[in-house]
Amino acid sequence: MPISQAFFQRSNALLLAIGIAVLVIIVATSLWLTTASERYFGEVTAARAVRSATADLLSLVQDAETGQRGYLLTRDESYLAPYSAAASRLPDQRARLERAAARLPEVTPILQRVNSELEQKMGELAATVEATRRSDIETALNLVRSGTGKRLMDELRTDLSAILAVSEKELREAIDAQVTASTRLRWTTIIGAIMILAMAGAASWTIISYTRELVAARREVETLNVGLEERVRERTDALVKANEEVQRFAYIVTHDLRAPLVNIMGFTSELEAMFKPIEAYVGAGAAATSEQKAAAEEALRVDVAEAIGFIRSSTRKMDGLINAILKISREGRRELRAESVDLTSLIETAAAAVHHQASAEEGGGIEIDAQVTRITSDRLSLDQVMGNLLDNAIKYRATERPIRIAVRTRRERRGWVKIEIEDNGRGIAATDHERIFELFRRSGTQNTAGEGIGLAHVRTMVRNLGGDIAVRSDLGKGTTFTVTLPPDLTAYRRSAEA
Amino acid sequence: MTNGKPVSIIMIEDDEGHARLIEKNIRRAGVSNEIIPFANGTDALNYLFGADGSGAVSAGRQLLILLDLNLPDMGGVDILDKVKANVHTKRSPVVVLTTTDDSREIQRCYDLGANVYITKPVDYDGFANAIRQLGLFFSVIQVPETP
Repeated sequence: MPISQAFFQRSNALLLAIGIAVLVIIVATSLWLTTASERYFGEVTAARAVRSATADLLSLVQDAETGQRGYLLTRDESYLAPYSAAASRLPDQRARLERAAARLPEVTPILQRVNSELEQKMGELAATVEATRRSDIETALNLVRSGTGKRLMDELRTDLSAILAVSEKELREAIDAQVTASTRLRWTTIIGAIMILAMAGAASWTIISYTRELVAARREVETLNVGLEERVRERTDALVKANEEVQRFAYIVTHDLRAPLVNIMGFTSELEAMFKPIEAYVGAGAAATSEQKAAAEEALRVDVAEAIGFIRSSTRKMDGLINAILKISREGRRELRAESVDLTSLIETAAAAVHHQASAEEGGGIEIDAQVTRITSDRLSLDQVMGNLLDNAIKYRATERPIRIAVRTRRERRGWVKIEIEDNGRGIAATDHERIFELFRRSGTQNTAGEGIGLAHVRTMVRNLGGDIAVRSDLGKGTTFTVTLPPDLTAYRRSAEA
Repeated sequence: MTNGKPVSIIMIEDDEGHARLIEKNIRRAGVSNEIIPFANGTDALNYLFGADGSGAVSAGRQLLILLDLNLPDMGGVDILDKVKANVHTKRSPVVVLTTTDDSREIQRCYDLGANVYITKPVDYDGFANAIRQLGLFFSVIQVPETP
C-alpha cells in the first residue's frame, strides 16, 4: 500500500495525540489511585489508633481496678500505685481515644456511653479507695459487694469490644480498598504500557514503510534519470539523422528535378534555333536554293527529332521523379497497423517468392535461421522491406557464382529484433554505403534496370517502424543488410509520443 | 589547345541531354577536340585507370576532365578524389560542371584539387554562355601530358 505524505503526516499526528492522551490518562489515574491509596492508608492508621487506644484504655481501667483490689486486701499504700498511675493517665488516654475515634462516626454514641461508664467506674473506685483510707473497710467492701463495679466493668468491656469491632471492620475495609487501588494501579500501568508500545509500534511501522517507499521512489527517480538521459541522447541522434536526411533529400530532389529542366529549356531553345533554316527555306519560296533546302531538311529530320526526343524523355523523367517522391512521402504518411506477426513465416513467404531465381543454378539457395518467431509490427511494411532486400540480393548478384542468401533473426538487447540478410553478391564499395540509401542513387556497375528508389523506400519504412537499417559489405564478396526493429510497435510509438 | 598532341576531353555526365547540349556549345565555341562521353562513373574510371585500376593506361595521354557530381552509380566527388590521387592523372585539369551550388560541396571539390567549378544554370542562355566560355577557356589553356 503506498503511503502518501499527507496520510503519513496525519497518521503520525494522530498516533502522537493518542499517545499523549493515553499518557495523560495513565498519569491522572495513577495520581488518583495514589491519593486514594494514601487515604486508605490514613484510614488504616486511624483504625489502628482507635484499636490500640481502646485496648490501652481497657488495660488502664483494669490496672486501676487491680490497684484498688490490692489496696483493699492489704491496705498497703504501695499496692495503690497502679490505681494512682491509671487514674492520672486516664484523662489523656480518653482524649487519645476520642481523637482517634473522631473519624468513626459510628463510634461516637458508644464512646459517650463509655465516658459515663468510665466516670461511674472511676467514681466507684475512688469511693472504695477513699473509704479504705478512712479505715472504713466495711463501707468499702459493701460498695464492692453491691456489684456496681463489676457491672460497670462488664459494660465497659462490652462497649470497648464494640469499638474494637467497629475499628476492626474499618481496618479490614480500608485494607481491602487499598489492595483494590493498588491492583487497579498495576493494571492501569500495564494497559498503558501496552497501549504506548502498540502506538510506538504503529508509528514505527508507518515511519519505516514511508521511509522505505521514499527510498524506493528515489531509486526509481534515479533509474528514470539515467534512462531519460539515454533516451534523450537516442532521440537527439535520431533527430540529427532525420534532419541530415531531410537536407540530403531536399538536395537530391532539387538537383534531380533541375537536371531534366535544364534539358527541356536547352532543347526548347535549340528547337527555336533549328526553325531558322526552315523559316528561311519556307520564306524564300520558289527562290530557295538547294543549300537552303538541304539545311531545312537536315534541321527538320535530324535536329528537331532529336530535340523533341530529349524534351519528351526529360518530361517523362521528371514525371517519374515526382511519382517516386510522392510514393515515398505517401509511405511516410501511411497509417501503420500494429499486429502480432509471425516473423518466420513472413520471411519464408518472401523467400519463396524469389526462391526459383535463387536456386536456378546448382549450389544456390536461401537459408533461413529464425530464432525470433513473433513481432508486433506493421505486416505490410515488413513484407515490403523483406521483399525489397531479397530482390536486391538477387538483382545485384555476382555473375561468377551461384546465389547464396542467408536470413537470420535474433533477439537483441531490450527485446529488439535483429534481421540479417546476407548474400554473396557483388558487394558495395565502402564509399557508397550511405549513398545506396539515398533517393535515386545507385552503386556499382549499372547493368540492371532500376530507379534507385528501393533502399530509400526500405529505410523510410524501417524508420517508420521505429527501427533502423545498416549495411556491411565487402566489394566483390557480398553484402549484409541488418534491420533492427522494436519488439512492439505500439509500445515504441507510446514512448516516442511520451 | 595549342599543344602538338591532341587533347581529349573526358566528359563524365549521366544525363544524355546535358551531354548533347554541352557538346553542341563546346563545338560552337570552336573547340574541335575529341570528346569522349561516359554516362556513369564506373565506365569512366575503367577508361582512366584501366582494368587493373593503376592508371598506367593514362600515361602519356593529354586529358581534360569534365565532371558531373551526381552520377547514378557513384559520387562524382569520389571520382575527383581518385583522379587527383593517382600519379598518372593528377595533373589533368578537372572541370566540375554540375547542377549543385551547395557551398560546402564547392569547397570540398576545390580542396580535393578541382581546377574549375561551374554550376549549370537552369536558363538555357546562361547555360550555353557558360559552356561557350568554357570552350574558349579550353582553347587557351595548356594541358600537360600525363606522366
